[in-house]
Amino acid sequence: MIRIVDGWKSYGDLQVLKGVSFEVGEQEVKVIFGPSGSGKSTLLRCINMLDPLDKGEVYLHEQNLIAPGVNPNMMRARIGMVFQHFNLFAHLKAIDNVSIGLRRVKKLPKEEARAKALEMLGRVKMAKWADHYPAQLSGGQQQRVGIARALSMKPDVILFDEPTSALDPELIGEVLQVMLDIAKSGTTMIVVTHEMGFAKAVASEMLFLDNGIIVERGTPQHFFVSPKSERVKHFLKQLDILYGSHKELLKRSNEEESK
Amino acid sequence: MFQVLPQPIEDILRVLEYWDHILAGFLTTMELYGGALVMGFFLGLLLALLRQYGGIILSRIATGYIEIIRGTPLLAQLFFIYFLPYSMNSILEAQGLSPIPIGKWNIQTDIIILDRIITYTIFDHRMLVGLLTLGLNSAAYQAEYIRGAIKSVGTGQLLAAQSLGMSRLAAIRHVVLPQALRRVIPAWSNEAAYLPKYTVVVFFIGVVDLFGEAHFIVANTFRTLTTYVFIALIFLALITIVSKALDFIHKRTSIPGV
Ligand SMILES: Nc1ncnc2c1ncn2[C@@H]1O[C@H](COP(=O)(O)OP(=O)(O)O)[C@@H](O)[C@H]1O
Ligand SMILES: [Mg+2]
Repeated sequence: MIRIVDGWKSYGDLQVLKGVSFEVGEQEVKVIFGPSGSGKSTLLRCINMLDPLDKGEVYLHEQNLIAPGVNPNMMRARIGMVFQHFNLFAHLKAIDNVSIGLRRVKKLPKEEARAKALEMLGRVKMAKWADHYPAQLSGGQQQRVGIARALSMKPDVILFDEPTSALDPELIGEVLQVMLDIAKSGTTMIVVTHEMGFAKAVASEMLFLDNGIIVERGTPQHFFVSPKSERVKHFLKQLDILYGSHKELLKRSNEEESK
Repeated sequence: MFQVLPQPIEDILRVLEYWDHILAGFLTTMELYGGALVMGFFLGLLLALLRQYGGIILSRIATGYIEIIRGTPLLAQLFFIYFLPYSMNSILEAQGLSPIPIGKWNIQTDIIILDRIITYTIFDHRMLVGLLTLGLNSAAYQAEYIRGAIKSVGTGQLLAAQSLGMSRLAAIRHVVLPQALRRVIPAWSNEAAYLPKYTVVVFFIGVVDLFGEAHFIVANTFRTLTTYVFIALIFLALITIVSKALDFIHKRTSIPGV
């Protein structure tokens, strides 16, 4: 359904994406992970054409988004995006953050847009907070509004850029729960995340991006049981130290002690 | 009743006898101030947007304009604009073309209050030059304040708006500007407080503003100090009111987190 073919992108001398290709099918959830600076955010921005690819193509329902004559604004309305730092419109209440796309892009009348926005806020369990400004909401609440904002446009696919990595640990759960719900209701998603529990629950495939290249791809099962490349093994081990059951930490501190 | 008044009070009363002149001068100053502030705002907004989002060529042009205005004396700008039509006319005449009829632009009105008739020049070519100069000058300063506010809004807001399918222009209009214009008010108050004081340069091209009327009053009464202190107090009151009003607007329009 959405397909990126041989995507290349550089900023000045820095080659960030080096020929990335993959495809996401209808109602599929793909998880992208990899070290910081490997180009994950850049990849999502390029899919959404917020940054143009230097070389390569993006297809949405077999339509080449980069072809001349294609209106990028109209295409972007069909691709939702959820940001690491939420990027809620600071001057708008939660409800208006969600309805602004309906009003200004889909040109719905005010009341209709408001009703739909309220429904979307309900889906992320934020209806009660409709009249709060972003600054009055916790990070987890802001991110749920961000998800409702993306959902409101009924996009063909939603891109998530580390949606929980800016959150305090106790707020991650509520956002992941919402993401699980919408994944299970059949939303096509490309999710950059290091939440392996989420990946395990809904990802049909995971892509490991390092240095602008997809180094390894496979099911969650594949990565957790038998990853091939050393880089992936090393990275997953570090993740386990950061997020995991602390088995690694315990082992290490035991090793230190026994020295 | 008062045979002998203390000197300062006598001075003040003597100056206040010219209240019709003070009023006419005040109206002229306010017209220049208000006109230049509004013109400066819209042109400044345009310059700020061009400088921030205009691409290489337009942003260079906007930057150049802002730097030239901010780097040259206001008085030089005033004389430049004042004498420009005259030099153009001499060129036009040399070519056998009809000159720009600058002297003919003149709208006056008589305001009658109590027993006085105030002949107020709403508009003539001197006022036009004054308004243009002050407006074009203020625009450069306002542009920089507005651009600072636009930059402080951050690119994430623009990205988020575009990710919903808004065009860049719509995103700027519906997302960036509502935030930037709220944020700019405190800095913008500076310009609103500076500008009344700069309007006095029009004295040099013969516009009789508050300052010009002060000269007239001094020439007739010889109460130099009293007159100028009085005029200064009017400026002080005006600027205080404007600052307070902007503070109030800032508070009323403020949104948590913006
Ligand atoms: N707009 C940009 N201009 C210049 N360099 C950028 C820009 N965006 C990202 N980069 C660089 O590209 C590399 C990849 O960044 P990013 O895609 O954000 O990585 P990730 O999301 O995987 O951490 C980084 O080295 C970053 O500094
Ligand atoms: Mg990133």
